[in-house]
Amino acid sequence: MGVAVARQLSGYRAAVLLGWAVSSNWTRPILFIAYSLLRPVSMALILAVMYTVITGNAAATRPYLAFLIIGTAFWSFIQEGVSEFANGILEDRGRYHILKYAYIAPLGFPIYLVGRATSKLASAAASVVIVLLVGAFALHLGINPLQIDYPLLVAACLLAFVSVIAFAITFSTMLLAGRDTNGYGDIIAQFLYLFSGAIFPISVLPGPIAWIASLSPLPYWLELCRRAILHARVYQMFPNMSDGEVLLRLVVATAGTVLLGYILFRFTDRRARRLGHIDMEVNW
Amino acid sequence: MSAIQHAERSPLRIFLKTIVARAYPRVVAANRHKSWLFLDMALPMVGALAMVLVYQGLHAPRQYLGFVVMGGAMLAFWQNVLWTMGAQFSWDRGNGTLELMAVSPTSFEAVLLGMAGGAMIMTTVRAAFIILIGSLVFNVTYTAGGLLPAIGVFLLTLGALYGMGMLLASLFLFYSREAWHLGDALQEPVNFLSGLYFPVKALGIPAGTETLLVAAQVPIFALLAGVALRYLESRARKDGKLVTRWE
Repeated sequence: MGVAVARQLSGYRAAVLLGWAVSSNWTRPILFIAYSLLRPVSMALILAVMYTVITGNAAATRPYLAFLIIGTAFWSFIQEGVSEFANGILEDRGRYHILKYAYIAPLGFPIYLVGRATSKLASAAASVVIVLLVGAFALHLGINPLQIDYPLLVAACLLAFVSVIAFAITFSTMLLAGRDTNGYGDIIAQFLYLFSGAIFPISVLPGPIAWIASLSPLPYWLELCRRAILHARVYQMFPNMSDGEVLLRLVVATAGTVLLGYILFRFTDRRARRLGHIDMEVNW
Repeated sequence: MSAIQHAERSPLRIFLKTIVARAYPRVVAANRHKSWLFLDMALPMVGALAMVLVYQGLHAPRQYLGFVVMGGAMLAFWQNVLWTMGAQFSWDRGNGTLELMAVSPTSFEAVLLGMAGGAMIMTTVRAAFIILIGSLVFNVTYTAGGLLPAIGVFLLTLGALYGMGMLLASLFLFYSREAWHLGDALQEPVNFLSGLYFPVKALGIPAGTETLLVAAQVPIFALLAGVALRYLESRARKDGKLVTRWE
């Protein structure tokens, strides 16, 4: 039992390191960090300019700017964890032809996938910090590291990571069924952007779509991140809910995502094996 | 050799035929790839929808929705330049087509011009579709007053943009994985600096200055693309690795 767990942990570690190497070894570390920051910082600046053009940076609307910037900062986790992860798995199969070896290794394929997803989430962490720094120093959002509710932030992020990994793994396994699905990860990340409350409250969405969005863990996660960092000084999507209520909803939504993801993964995995999707030649 | 045979083999004729031949798959064959068609239009549309909802969240006046719809359409061009111009030689190398191009009696300039011409036609059709759908969905209206200057600036921008695409094609080949990541990382900064979703004057750049900058970029990118291609060819002769996969 102990040996088996140690072997799984060792395999997980190897998958994380492999994911990190594939993501980062194409250049020097400093350039890697610079490239990783360009996208989220630019996105934050786009939203800041849009906000300024419309509101004139009025003091009364500052909580909404904080809402935008914190949502954009934490969005990097979804961008990396879903879009980049899906593209990475498809690259493993189509470009590098290593997915079949990972699949038949005695490690267990889900462990490999979780390891790869972990490395993606880790590489997003720098972007999150930098965008928050931009928010704190360039946009004067009043973010104080000493006033952050770290237990709430960590709890919310851990739950969100579990659901993001569950979703990303299931989604990527589904994409293996297609011969030319590279890029679909970007589309899904864009759709999640609409449903997550990252840059606008989900109440702006039309009724039925807002209801679907409320089933996702992402709006609750981002709400808790905002509350943990800025407390009452940020626009709130769920002003009538306490932190505990939002956290409870996040727990329930995460459990639902993991359960649904597990069922779908089992189905798509069996189908992929039966139809030969794991080592399908896709003329990358 | 008869006059007809001579005319068939003249460099100019080969150059022009190459342009047409390379543009053909861009215009015709690309439409057979339904998933690309979907991706090319869905990505800018979803991005535009997100920005429309941001403006709605900010209770912005309706005219700003027009910025977003036009931005979504223009985004299709930028993505096209980045991924189907810049990355194309890299793809061609991966699937073995670059090798055939390298040994064929034509020039890379003609191939790139064909790629650009075909891509411009196809992306214009897709951008028009995005504008049509976006305008209908978000109820955006337009005035004909500024149409001519807008078309002028648009054509100028296309020249600069696809010149840049030709340059990127060589750079992607030189730097391979690094250029790939750079292209990925460049998307949002360009969206920001080009004022894709907001009036560019918000960045403090007057429209006249912006137009002049775009005009200056047309010859600059054309020149740089030529220099990059010459360098590419000289490196290829020296190292013999132009068509090596995984480089």
